[in-house]
Amino acid sequence: MTGSRLLRSLLRIGAMAGKEAIHVRRDPRTLGLALVMPVVMLFLFGYGVSSDLDHIPLVFADQDQSEASRALARAFDGSGEFTVVGRPAPEGVEALFRGGVAVAALVVPRGYQRDLLLGKRAEVQLMLDGADPVVGNQVLAKADAIARVESQRLAGAAFARLQPPLQVKVWTRYNPEGRSALYMVPGLSAFLLAITAVMLTALAIAGEWERGSMEQLFASPVGRLEIVLGKLLPYLVLGLLELLLVVAFGALVFDVPIRGSLPLIMLFGLVFMAGMLGQGLFISVVAKNQLVATQAGALSAMLPAIILSGMIFPIENMPLPLRTISRLIPSRYLVHGLRGILLKGNGLDVLWPDLLAMALFAVAILGLATARFKRRVA
Amino acid sequence: MTASAPAGAAVDHAIVVSDLTRRFGEFTAVDRVSFEVEQGEIFGYLGANGAGKSTTIRMLIGLLAPSGGKATVAGHDVATAPNRVKESIGYMSQKFSLYLDLPVEENLLFFGAAYGLEGKALRLRSAELLERVGLDAQHEATTGDLPGGQRQRLALACALLHRPGIVFLDEPTAGVDPVARRAFWELIRELARGGTTVFVTTHYLDEAEYCRRIGLMVDGKLVALDTPAGLKRTWVPDRVLVARGRGLAAAGSRLQGAAGVRAVAPFGAGLHLRVDPARLDGAAVAQALREAGAEAVEVEEASPSLEDVFLAVVDRSAERRP
Repeated sequence: MTGSRLLRSLLRIGAMAGKEAIHVRRDPRTLGLALVMPVVMLFLFGYGVSSDLDHIPLVFADQDQSEASRALARAFDGSGEFTVVGRPAPEGVEALFRGGVAVAALVVPRGYQRDLLLGKRAEVQLMLDGADPVVGNQVLAKADAIARVESQRLAGAAFARLQPPLQVKVWTRYNPEGRSALYMVPGLSAFLLAITAVMLTALAIAGEWERGSMEQLFASPVGRLEIVLGKLLPYLVLGLLELLLVVAFGALVFDVPIRGSLPLIMLFGLVFMAGMLGQGLFISVVAKNQLVATQAGALSAMLPAIILSGMIFPIENMPLPLRTISRLIPSRYLVHGLRGILLKGNGLDVLWPDLLAMALFAVAILGLATARFKRRVA
Repeated sequence: MTASAPAGAAVDHAIVVSDLTRRFGEFTAVDRVSFEVEQGEIFGYLGANGAGKSTTIRMLIGLLAPSGGKATVAGHDVATAPNRVKESIGYMSQKFSLYLDLPVEENLLFFGAAYGLEGKALRLRSAELLERVGLDAQHEATTGDLPGGQRQRLALACALLHRPGIVFLDEPTAGVDPVARRAFWELIRELARGGTTVFVTTHYLDEAEYCRRIGLMVDGKLVALDTPAGLKRTWVPDRVLVARGRGLAAAGSRLQGAAGVRAVAPFGAGLHLRVDPARLDGAAVAQALREAGAEAVEVEEASPSLEDVFLAVVDRSAERRP
């Protein structure tokens, strides 16, 4: 008896999902949004917007004029990351900066080689153009990497017996070349999943209200929960496909490593999607028409996913109020989790708090949305 | 409420409604409505917009819980077993809520599956209905490309897939051209001949003539319930006569106030008279007009329309209001 009721319920959910899949298939805009956008975005962020710089114009102000300082210049010039575009006196650096000839300057003070030979801390100055923080960060990361390689070489060449005292920044550890695709892929995944889930479900369900077919559905034996599950299922599948697509493209085109387990990635995607689908459902129940649903969906899905998830702006740098708000944003946990899985090979032992946070959000919002959904019609 | 009615009572009647009430806050949308609908009957539910027709339907199909009273549809109580009600009825809502981006046949297959049909049985049934509503040639067309009349027939087909004993049609012909409306009503009558009970709301009064019985709602109350002929007898008891000829205006004014004459009004080139059927008939009125000076007089009896009934009912209700 219960078995056959469950079977009938599953059949009805299947019918809803099947119908929804036909909607999606017959609507090129939805499919485009879901499958072309990820690829376009990945290329945009991976190549264009990312500004993975090379041949950064650098001026080299050498006050030491020694064997060691010339070696440092070669290290920068030969890396391909920097091109030495001038060798002015230290007073001339400012002019070259202002004229836009260089975005970075390396100043080697007098006594550089002497300090190295004495085994003392040798200092060079890196000046950079901070007008564009993204560029500035990259210059910093790349210069840091080159300096590190150079100091290792120096240590090996027995210029000094002591390890050159260099600080290694933690955030460059998994992305030593400062390649933006590496941190963009996890961020982008969160962004795309959020859009797909929130916008498409909000649209699909608001459309059902607008069309009046929701009432028709309520008048049929299809239950509320069956309607919700049936409508959300195809978008869940679509979202997971997107996630696979982004991860695969990231790996193939941008050499983003997949150090952790793929099933774990999918699990993260699934739990995140559940929350986002709930958010879309909630919006559509409150909004009632497609226009409002689109706007609310876009605002509530895209903005936090871009701004507060750590996709572009590091959460550590945010002021306290924003950092606190970001704790309520599921994309934050997905970005963190995916970075951990993809770049560090972390497993659940490390990332369970992220998964738990997303699960809590999903349960809360789905509960809220279903409650509102039931009251809507009564 | 007293103990349940004997089991047999629900079988004879497809729908039994007693003192059904629905309040929205202070406002009473449906006020102690009672009626019964027989098996295989076309039952028309008439009323102005906001009179409570849709609220009644929504309660009867299990969408809206009643605030008071009781309604049984196909033997199931709408308040306690709305899901059983939903399984045994078909419903076509005011807007034809088909999926316009889907092909015709997919709409049928989806609604069939929603009602628990599947596989080959579903395919056969949907093909059968497509033929019955005359859309078998269009089964692959995109629903949105169909003209209004065809969409409405498709919506009907969607409501009939699971062979419901009762169908509820809420304003099924709103916004459809007269030819398509006639074709649609032909389908409905055929349905009723096959034993299906049809509960239909409409505000086209000419359509209401097709109904076996009509309930009239004014301000949430059911104020009249009878066959179309019965309603006319009760609510428009006067004999309505139309007179044509020459010199009618002067003769008409002379007849005003004569015994048995209730009202005289110019009607186009002729004259519209309402008389007491017990005292005057067409011939007597023609004679009286000739005697009053009219020439070439011809008098015809006009049957009152449901529109006359509707206006009389609304007038009466307005008079009663405090």
